[in-house]
Amino acid sequence: MRRQTNIVLGKLGLVCWSLFLFTSHGLIAQKTFPAPVETLLDQHCMDCHGTESAKADFNLADLSRDLSKGKTLSTWVRLFDRVDKKEMPPEGKAHRIQAADRDRALKLLGDVLRGADRAAIAKHGRGPARRLTRDEFQDNLRDLLKMPTLDVKGKLPEDRRAHGYTRVVGLLDLSRVHLNAFLNASEEALMDAMAPSVTPPVPQKFKARGINLFTGLTTFGGREAMFFVRDNKMVVINGNDLKEMKPEALTDPKLHVAVFRSATWPYFGYPRNFRANKTGTYRVRFAGRAVRQVRDLRLVPAHDPLPMSFRARQPSGPDVSGDVRETGGWMDLQPVSKQFETTIFLKKGETFEYSFLGLPVPFIRTDKGFYYDFPPMPKDGHRGGVIEWLDVEGPLNPPTWPPPSHEFLFGQLPLKAPLPISRLPISVESKEPLKDAERLFRRFADAAAHLPLTEEDYTGFLTLIRKDLAAGMPFADAMLKGYQAFLCSNHFLFLSRQPDEPSLAYANRLTHFLWNSSPDDRLASLAKTNALNNRKTFEQEHARMLADPRFDRFIEGFVEQWLDLADLRRDEPDNRLYPEYRKDDYLVDSMEKETRLFVKTLITENHPIATIADSKFAFVNDRLAAHYDLPRVRGSQLRKVTLPDWNPRGGLLTHASILKHTSNGTTTSPVLRGVWVMEKILGDPPPPPPKSIPAVEPDIRGATTIREQLAKHTEDKACATCHARFDPIGFALENFDVMGAWRDRYRTQNAGEQITGYDPAGHPFTYHVRREVDPAGQLLTGEAFTDIHALKAILAKKPRLLARNLLHQFTLYATGTPVRFSERAEIERVLDQCKPTGYRVGDLLRAFCASPILRQP
Amino acid sequence: MNHTAPTPPMNRRHFLRGLGVALPLPLLLQHARAQPKQPAARRMLLISNNLGVLPGSFFPKQTGPDYALSPLLKNLEPIRKEFTVFSGLSHPAVSGGHSTENCFLTGAKDPTGSGFRNTVSLDQFAIEHLGQRTRFPTLNLGVNIDRGNRSLSWSRDGVLLPAEDKPSALFRKMFIQGRPEETEQRLQRLKERGSILDTLRADAKRLQARSGQEDKTRLDQYFTSIRELEQGLTIAGEWETRPKPITRQPAPEDILDRAQFFPKFDLMLRMAQLAFESDSTRIVTLMVDAFATPVFEINDEEKSLTGYHNLSHHGQSPEKIRQLEKTDHRQMKTLAGLFQQLRDTREPTGPLLDSTMILYGSNMGDANVHNCDNLPILLAGGGFRHGQHLAFDPRNNQPLCRLYLSMLQQMGIETDSFSSGQGTLPGLRPA
Repeated sequence: MRRQTNIVLGKLGLVCWSLFLFTSHGLIAQKTFPAPVETLLDQHCMDCHGTESAKADFNLADLSRDLSKGKTLSTWVRLFDRVDKKEMPPEGKAHRIQAADRDRALKLLGDVLRGADRAAIAKHGRGPARRLTRDEFQDNLRDLLKMPTLDVKGKLPEDRRAHGYTRVVGLLDLSRVHLNAFLNASEEALMDAMAPSVTPPVPQKFKARGINLFTGLTTFGGREAMFFVRDNKMVVINGNDLKEMKPEALTDPKLHVAVFRSATWPYFGYPRNFRANKTGTYRVRFAGRAVRQVRDLRLVPAHDPLPMSFRARQPSGPDVSGDVRETGGWMDLQPVSKQFETTIFLKKGETFEYSFLGLPVPFIRTDKGFYYDFPPMPKDGHRGGVIEWLDVEGPLNPPTWPPPSHEFLFGQLPLKAPLPISRLPISVESKEPLKDAERLFRRFADAAAHLPLTEEDYTGFLTLIRKDLAAGMPFADAMLKGYQAFLCSNHFLFLSRQPDEPSLAYANRLTHFLWNSSPDDRLASLAKTNALNNRKTFEQEHARMLADPRFDRFIEGFVEQWLDLADLRRDEPDNRLYPEYRKDDYLVDSMEKETRLFVKTLITENHPIATIADSKFAFVNDRLAAHYDLPRVRGSQLRKVTLPDWNPRGGLLTHASILKHTSNGTTTSPVLRGVWVMEKILGDPPPPPPKSIPAVEPDIRGATTIREQLAKHTEDKACATCHARFDPIGFALENFDVMGAWRDRYRTQNAGEQITGYDPAGHPFTYHVRREVDPAGQLLTGEAFTDIHALKAILAKKPRLLARNLLHQFTLYATGTPVRFSERAEIERVLDQCKPTGYRVGDLLRAFCASPILRQP
Repeated sequence: MNHTAPTPPMNRRHFLRGLGVALPLPLLLQHARAQPKQPAARRMLLISNNLGVLPGSFFPKQTGPDYALSPLLKNLEPIRKEFTVFSGLSHPAVSGGHSTENCFLTGAKDPTGSGFRNTVSLDQFAIEHLGQRTRFPTLNLGVNIDRGNRSLSWSRDGVLLPAEDKPSALFRKMFIQGRPEETEQRLQRLKERGSILDTLRADAKRLQARSGQEDKTRLDQYFTSIRELEQGLTIAGEWETRPKPITRQPAPEDILDRAQFFPKFDLMLRMAQLAFESDSTRIVTLMVDAFATPVFEINDEEKSLTGYHNLSHHGQSPEKIRQLEKTDHRQMKTLAGLFQQLRDTREPTGPLLDSTMILYGSNMGDANVHNCDNLPILLAGGGFRHGQHLAFDPRNNQPLCRLYLSMLQQMGIETDSFSSGQGTLPGLRPA
């Protein structure tokens, strides 16, 4: 199984931590370490690691004692850790070390390493300046230009990832491709920031009534999938009727559309004859209700609300061309008619379609010709939504004109008609262009730069603008060009550690951590007066940052990178074994929301860290409650529910999102899941697997379980010692399938107890369940458990371990470098500080933000 | 373009004949002499028919170098050593019937899912990395194409780059001088970019003086990026001012009748060939929009029973399958003609085929049932060791983007991943 190997390698090894460090010169090289250290090395390490054929490619004989090289230092730190964890020297053999000798040697070695690390930080800072990630670039621009929906990230190359993180200093390189993309993206953003016309444009208005509510008189899936209704009765309208019916009959407000299928291909569920004339935010008002379709195409009110959303897309018919974006949020149609209002974002030329969440998917049948089938009717009828009328208006103009984004670029200078030699839709009139240019540019640059500018910093850009003005370039064009240049300069593209402005540089680290963006005016001015050193002020500001909507960027970004949610949609569930999940996007989207909301709640409600391992509550909506076998809840909004004792969904480990992305869509692997938990939750990543060993291929015929196969694999002692660290955790998670649903037995394709049914596409399916899952195990530390409940209880008793890991994850996300050797004591200090109240997550975050790890340049 | 001397219109057949006969000395030989010495040119022609071919007639039964040609591949018998046929390739998680057509060169996942956004296509990715070396970084062509909705070529942020479906317009673009004021405008744009880069360099130089050793790598990267972008601007500027190549070819006549599917396809392939021979570009994409092709002439005597799309859903109708077979055979013959032409055209370093990778394939594995696995893929020329059927697991396909990565590396691009391709395709080796 190739994928399995790749994931293991990718997660663990190839990107060596030494990427984060850097070489340097000038520290005094040490020839030898203190005697007890050298003695320990000589007596217990050299016989295996002292030769050319050194074990595990670790040759101590050639390892320098000159710790001024970042790479050498990190190698010694690795050695320190293996010995400290008593993993090395290996048990047995001739390596019976006296505990006292070992501890003494470790302490001395630790002192040496700490000293070397501190010296490196003093000389170079704890990490070099780094480029903004593309998320940070976009969010900085959104805040700077006051354009909350600005979309330029797609123009930039994706940032590389290590261990899930994009902010890793060594990976944030800059090439011609990047710089070109930054130039193009800033140019486009600035042009979008300008007022598009001298006066506010008149918004486009569109009303859909009757047959205009839907393009097409039928949809794929046959009559059961969609029809028009009047007074809850089906109305058949065919092509000829369109010509014969009077216009007022066609747009009869009592004529509504009823839809019983999901917005999956092939489908085009958008109103007739609407297209956005301009890119922007549109207001949509509509009325709708949730219904059931019972026998003979009859409509009755629904039992439950029906969640829906809109999908922005090109009006390209059943086949999709261009972006598809869910927009407008999730709304729940109710069994009684109700009016809704929402805003949607559309690009020029796009339309939007009804997207009913969790409904069936008509699917192609070829057994009797070629057609789209609709699944058989459930006992309660087909769930569906009725749209009664719909109004669209937009793009919505900002409350002031010119828009705030324009005002930021050009102040109060009057707007005029466009000039023939300009590429811009309007011109800006300046009576004193040189003076205005200087004033506006300084304002722009001061707001855009992450750190205060010197007088010289403005000069180059001002010269560029002046030269263009002198050459006859229109005022607005020249200004935009100067702004564009500045956005691609070092002042904006890079976060500098800047030791001469420690307070402001700290504020920048803080806001890029919590907001993905720069300090706002208030924070910047507090930083300038060093007020953030005052504990009370800091705590107030920290609370303010968490309460700000920009904090959602932290939740989204940190949760995605820490918990690898970027991989959530990597694999589709295998239709052969998991037919019931066909195109179940609603489930996957709900999983993602659940995990974000859970982490956010841990912080905002300040739950003890043990909640990560186990909690009495979970956040679910209708789909997740069904997925988790919980009592029914209604509607799409996630809400906190108290879990019954038997239900295993408390804590992070049993989130469907995590269980899904740690499987491959066909099978689950205790190895991958175990390794993932070790690395991301327990903070103890195992070393990468040896290169020559092939990964275990799960047997989807089901004759043997993955556990039996692994047992064979680990008969070899060399394999067993490592696998014993992570396999057991994975075994406990074997009760969860590739989508995170509970299972007692493994599914197979053709042996065992047969299960038949219809998938959401109406396809009949057959699969089998066979061997029983054995979730019991024993941790390397000795604790035995029978299943996931017991494992979670064990982990919940290790709060300090869980809290320490979280601090390490914060460090990587906030600074782009891992916790350094000399900072370990600082981590322990933060832990001590948070211990009395049970290591609460909000406290940990706040203490981390105040710690020298983030403070020191 | 009325300031240029009008060329007498010629019909298509004349044009085609002209290419084969009246152009013994390819333009690119003249061109090569005029050019400063550059690394050996590498080219790509990327073709997709969005309804594919009949899988049963296309895929060979045996694998490896000694495989027996399938009925469709028999048409390529004379040049069987010049291409590789692949099976067991597809784009992972790219499903959704015809909507996958826009992902053929991008591999972007789940094109019908909420949250879909296309990503950079193979040709655009290559250009990002190679920079401009010819007058046109790429040319994007189409046959019968629905230009507003379909293209093989996509920008990084998922913007459709429209395909050119008029041979006459392509010809004008390649060989007829544009209006001076248009050239002037484009030069002005280049100059503006250049002055921004100057400003950025000066600004960074001051920082360099101020900052310490640790910022050195970062600033070095920054200066290198500026320098390389400036080189690109210079090259682009030179292309703007340099006269376009001269061809003795008359301008081709557009075929407006969409039923003339094969003559249109053939003519577009000739245009691609002409683009390579004149070194107007080194990367060409060509979407054969079978989906948008109405009832068409399968040959001089026979018309298709229905439009191409409907025909592709043959539902095992013997009539329709017979017509599809004829269609696919003619398609393969057309390709064989192109491969042979490129083999017989020589540039200083050897046959043009050896420097030109030609990918032919489809986003549809079996259009009849909208299946997007097991895609039919051919790769000819371009300096690979060919002449084999490279077969992968039909149940667990290899990502097609691994083949694309192999092609990118063959273009001289140093990258270790492209889209879902995280490694080159095993078994395919450069010659």
